[in-house]
Amino acid sequence: MIRRHPFISLFLLLLLALLGWVWHERVNLQAFPDIIAAYTAKEYCSCRYVQNYPAEYCLGYVKQYVPTSAFNDNPERSEVTASGLGRTHTARWMGDRQGCRLNP
Amino acid sequence: MVRGLLCVALLFVTVAAHADTWPDKDWAQGTALTGPAVDALTAYAFPTRDDATRQGIRTDALLVIRDGEVIYERYAAPTTASTPHLTWSISKSLMATVLGVAYGENRFKLSDPAARFYPPMKQHPKVTMADLLHWASGLDWQEDYEYAPLKSSVVAMLYTRGRADMAEFAADTEAAAAPGQAFRYSSGDSNILSATLKGMLGHKAYMSYPWDALFKPLGIHNATWETDADETFVASSYAYLTARDLARIGLLMARDGRWGAQQLLPEEWVAFNRQPFDNYKVGQDEAVPGGQWWLNREVQGAPRPWPDAPADTFAALGHWGQALFVMPDEHLVIVRYGDDRDGSYRHNELLKRVLAAVQP
Repeated sequence: MIRRHPFISLFLLLLLALLGWVWHERVNLQAFPDIIAAYTAKEYCSCRYVQNYPAEYCLGYVKQYVPTSAFNDNPERSEVTASGLGRTHTARWMGDRQGCRLNP
Repeated sequence: MVRGLLCVALLFVTVAAHADTWPDKDWAQGTALTGPAVDALTAYAFPTRDDATRQGIRTDALLVIRDGEVIYERYAAPTTASTPHLTWSISKSLMATVLGVAYGENRFKLSDPAARFYPPMKQHPKVTMADLLHWASGLDWQEDYEYAPLKSSVVAMLYTRGRADMAEFAADTEAAAAPGQAFRYSSGDSNILSATLKGMLGHKAYMSYPWDALFKPLGIHNATWETDADETFVASSYAYLTARDLARIGLLMARDGRWGAQQLLPEEWVAFNRQPFDNYKVGQDEAVPGGQWWLNREVQGAPRPWPDAPADTFAALGHWGQALFVMPDEHLVIVRYGDDRDGSYRHNELLKRVLAAVQP
């Protein structure tokens, strides 16, 4: 098998290694896509409602290499929602002392 | 006669204690610094700013206090004197200072196991309060913000798997070394400390304790300290203070825990903060760890982390260039807030220029 199909054998070996790594890192990999939406919602909320910076500045402040697909800042509710990599998260301003927090 | 002498001595001590300048509602203004060295400082800290590329040195605020008076203060828009700025990991040193008040109230001993106040630490029954304060819990923590996001314990704690209960997320980390034996910088250790304080006080008292114990006595009125969903203060990352208010913490530390006539922190607590951790190895971090503070000390024959600053300098440091420097012998407190997104800013260069600017 290995002598007759060296490339397929190598490919299968690499695939097996990749699957092993995915299994090993399954918890981290599952959580990973949440980072961009959660980071953007939380840090924008704090930028805007705790540090009181202008909205335009805060959009630049939270910008990352990975783009967000949707973003909404609701000033009436002091609530910020961001989407990216297929996940959506919301952070809300709780008050002067407690600032912003991601919704569970 | 003896009583008379005693009275005179007491009067003298009282006068001496009050000879120091302390901020009241606001800071006293000293004579503002001028001259070419001051221009060189401003040129270094505040180059033309580009908020689109976010490249280069991006100082948001720079405040220098000498003998309790403001001698240099500058902000870059949109930050102002009234902006409660994100301090990132300066929060760790702030939590240590809050814990210092609790220590003065005999609420815990350094040798107490953390599990005594925070049951999830029963998984690691030998980890003491001192170990956590030294970032030496021995837990297998991955502290990396931007370069290894998949494996980063910090990113997982703040934004994904840990965000509902950060201290528990940290406590659930496996042990990698025996407690107290090795330094490993960990935001998890700091949040476990925050949870132990909650255990000492109970939830209700804990929620106002940073204000009651520290901020109000210092005249700090605009502090924000964000919590996780379990209402534990995010001691690793999320305290917000104006530059002027953070300088109050610096002055408290510069004066060995004393604020006016009140010894707010025990002197021995501040001495612990400023004592290098014995098992730290040179090069493990950018400065020498004490008790949740950073020290400019020579250890194991290596040069000081900031060679142009005096050896008694100690600091609270945070991501993106946040810094509070305390130089007790020079009577200086320096607050630097920033938004540095690349590596161009250097603490040593800033300190060198501040020290040149304050020379008479």
